[in-house]
Parts: sequence; structure tokens; C-alpha cells
Amino acid sequence: MLPAEADVSRWLAAAGASAEVTTSILGVMARIEAARAADVLATLRDGEGRFDMLVDLFAIDTGEGIDLRYHLRALERDEDLYLAAYVDYDGEAPSAWRCYPAVLYAEREAAEMFGMSFVGHPNPKRLLTTDEVQAPLLRKSTPIRTWEETRRD
Amino acid sequence: MTDDRLRVTSEGPIVAEGRREPLLLPRGLRRVPRGVDELATEHLIVNMGPQHPSTHGVLHILLELDGETVMAAEASLGYLHRGIEKLAESRRHHQVGTLLDRADYVSGIHTELAYAMAVERLMEIEVPEKAQWLRTLMAEINRIASHVLFVGTFGMDTGSMPTFLYTMREREALVDILEAVTGSRMMFNYVRPGGVTGDLPGGIIEKLETFLSTVDTYLDEYDVLLTDNEIFGPRTKGVGVIDRTTAIAFGMTGAPLRATGMDWDVRKVRPYAAYAQLDFDVPLGSQGDCFDRYVVKTAEIRQSLEMIRQLIAGVPEGEYTAKVPRVLRPPAGEVYTAVESPRGELGIHLVSDGSDLPYRMRLRSPAYYNLAVVDEALAGGLIADAVVTLGSLDIVLGEIDR
Repeated sequence: MLPAEADVSRWLAAAGASAEVTTSILGVMARIEAARAADVLATLRDGEGRFDMLVDLFAIDTGEGIDLRYHLRALERDEDLYLAAYVDYDGEAPSAWRCYPAVLYAEREAAEMFGMSFVGHPNPKRLLTTDEVQAPLLRKSTPIRTWEETRRD
Repeated sequence: MTDDRLRVTSEGPIVAEGRREPLLLPRGLRRVPRGVDELATEHLIVNMGPQHPSTHGVLHILLELDGETVMAAEASLGYLHRGIEKLAESRRHHQVGTLLDRADYVSGIHTELAYAMAVERLMEIEVPEKAQWLRTLMAEINRIASHVLFVGTFGMDTGSMPTFLYTMREREALVDILEAVTGSRMMFNYVRPGGVTGDLPGGIIEKLETFLSTVDTYLDEYDVLLTDNEIFGPRTKGVGVIDRTTAIAFGMTGAPLRATGMDWDVRKVRPYAAYAQLDFDVPLGSQGDCFDRYVVKTAEIRQSLEMIRQLIAGVPEGEYTAKVPRVLRPPAGEVYTAVESPRGELGIHLVSDGSDLPYRMRLRSPAYYNLAVVDEALAGGLIADAVVTLGSLDIVLGEIDR
């Protein structure tokens, strides 16, 4: 279920990315540069790693920026790998839809909910909310109650 | 080549490209009609949904039609978005299950179970054997209740109204059992971190045995109504084919993936609860069409019944919940737990900062990833097949929009 850390480092080196690889209760996670995410994902899918499925892509607001999580899976070996990538609040990351079309919705959702953007997404529209919703909803700075609920008059 | 005489929209001159085949994904909708000459047919944009019986909730699909052929499709989501992931960040761990019931409202036990497992793994809580047994039993009852609803609605999508009425009979019996155990028919809030909320009430095993003794003949009725039906076959066989490569590339799991022959079931590959002790098969398809997805689901009903028979044959003794603190404060960390929900791999990615509230809760929704393929799968088919293909994916919008 867990790939060896040495293997992960080797696969990432093949993509020209030097990454710190850690193992935790979550599994094996490698931290990569967000700007290189699309290249690294393409290498992990087509290269020796053969991570053929992207299980999930989502983001976490760390309080200083946005932390992207790519959850990859090699179905044949039953191994999971997590990639983490930091993005600034108004930053951008390359879209990975060409190697993993599964991110088509997930990138739209992450961009909408966290206020960052994915460069090269073919249909960069909102996914879940309408244009009236201005705030990036899942950021910690966005209050949970709406103005209508909190006003006192 | 541009020709001003063909201008019928306010979008500027029309480009006659002379291509009839669907573009490579993803395309979005082209508002400009395309044709080979001045007599080209204008493409029609049709809104399917959000109020449409075949969208299984409030899904809105924009279809670009050339006659009856779908040239492009684009799903528009969010009509049921309630911000469950955001709301969870202000709820204590015991309270999040209430929200998650509303995510996938047809199979709440599975979503609750995934969340409870995530908290348990972070806090290293040992769940008693009886609780694992109860969770598995309820999950399988819930799976059948969800699958028979799928059979019924899929029958309606293909034009068979009676199937829905018959499947509701089985669903009613199962929902009654779920209500007797959990106190609720849909929003169970039954699985909690550490165990479940209560033991089985008296008489439930007998009620289950009565159901099990009659259900096989009922399932044979479904075969008569749908599987062997002369209309159902041609309406579903070879329709909405999603091959294995596409399914994996789009992150599809559950019956749509297994219908392509891919043997991947979380219950087998990464057993949780009491599934490691159960003996069951994973039904597989081969073609990846609507018929295979239906057959996989109906075969799963029989496997689930087999599991329930094994479960009620050996009721373990013990507590139905572990001793857990009233306020759960998992240590800081990240964890991912997955269950096989009736729709596919349902995962909870939980990030804790050590407080009593989840810092980030991500619901990896199977239907969300299964639905993303419709933009690709509907294009090139007939509009009548679009309804069938969408129905065969067994989506629940509450889980997709969260």
C-alpha cells in the first residue's frame, strides 16, 4: 500500500524535481514546487511510477497560503502517493488535466473555493457557486455565517 | 472560411468548419453552429435539468444537439451546494456525521463510517468487534437499499415504470429495518467515532430473516422486468460505453469502473470494518456499457445479501462502542480513509490541528468523479441515450455538490 520513499525520490528525480519525501499516518507524501506540478504528474503517470489514477485533488488553507494535495494511485500495485504543493493566496498552479482528466472538476472547485487559479485549464469556470458569491468560501478568513445571519437590527 | 450570411447569433461571423465529429475533450459548448455549407443545420442548445426526472436530483446538463445527436455536453453543478466541507470546520467531531448524512442522502451509513474511521485512525481508538459487526451489517443493508433504488430509477430512465414500484417494496422493508436500528430512515447519524449509537433492538434479526427468505424471488422479478426485457437490452447494451482507460483517467470508481472489468473494490483491496472476515465476490463486467453497470449492481445486491446471511449467522458478543472522550481532540495530522459506498470509493481526508474541530475535512465523493465523465460520454450519442447513460452512473447530487 505504501511505496518506498527511495522509489518515490527516484521517480521524482526522473521528473527533474528534488522533493522531500515523508511518511506519516497518511502515507507517503512528497512536497513539490507548484509551478512544476503538471510536469511531475505527467512523469509519475507515464514513467516508472505508473500512477494511473488521480484519486483526488483538493486544497488546504494553512493560514499563510494554499496547500494543494494530489492523491495518486497505482492500481496494479495498490500504492498511494500524495503530492503537496504550496501556492500563494492569489497564486497559480499549472493545470494537470492533460495527464489526469479527473482534475477537470477538482481544479475548478479548488480555484473557486480558495481564490487561486490553474493555468491552462480548458474551462476555467466556477463549479459549485454563482458569480454572486465573491469570497473564496473555504479560506479560513471567510466567516462561516453570512452577513444576513450575523447582522443585528 | 467565414460567411456573413450564416450569422444567426450575436457571437460574430459563423465559421463553417465542415467537421461533424465531436471535438476532443474537454470542449465546452460552441454556440456557433457548424456545417459544411450554407444549408448547415443550426445546433440546438437544450437545457436538461435542473428540474428533470432523469437527472436524479438537481443536475443541469447543457446539451448541444445536431438533430437527435448530442454533439457536446456540459454538466453544470452546484444546485445542491450547502458548503458541507466549510460547515464541518465549525462542528465537533461527533457532530460532523449529521452533516455527512446530508451529503450522500441515499447511503448515509457509508459516509459516516468513513468519517468515524478517519477520527479513529488519528486518535488510535480501538473499535470493539461488535461495533465493527454492526457497522458492516448496517452498511450492507444500506447498500442494498441504495442499489434497489438505482434499479428502480434506472428502470424509469429506460422506460419501465413498474420496476420502480416493485423496487420500492424492497427498499421500504430495508428502510424500516434501518429505522428500527438507527431511529431514522435516511439521516441515520448511527456510526460515531468509537463505535455505533446503539445495539440491535429485539426482533430485528427475525425481521431480517423474514426479508432474506423472500428477497430472492423479488430479485428474480427484477430480471423478468429489466434484465431479460426485450426493450431494456437494446436500450442499454452498447450504450454509453466508458472503456477502462477513460474510467481510470477520470478517477472513476465503484460499479462504473468494475463494469469495465477492473477488479477494484475497497472492501476487498483494503478491508475495513468486518469485511476481512466475510466471504464474497466482486462482480465484474466486461464492456463498460450501461447494461454492464446495471448487471454489476444487481449482482452486488446478491453478494450483499450473502454477506448479511453470514453476518447474522455469527453475532459477536461485546460492547457496541469503545470508551471515547466526550470531546474528541485528535492529535495534529492528516489521514485518509476510504470505504466502498454504493457509488464507489468514498474517502474522507481529515486534517486536524489538535483542536476539537476538524481543520479541514475533504469528502472524496465517488459520484463527483463518476459524473465528470459525462461531458465525454454523452457526446456522440443520442439524446435518449444521454438519459440512460446518466442514470447508469447512479449519481447522488447531494454528494457531488456537498
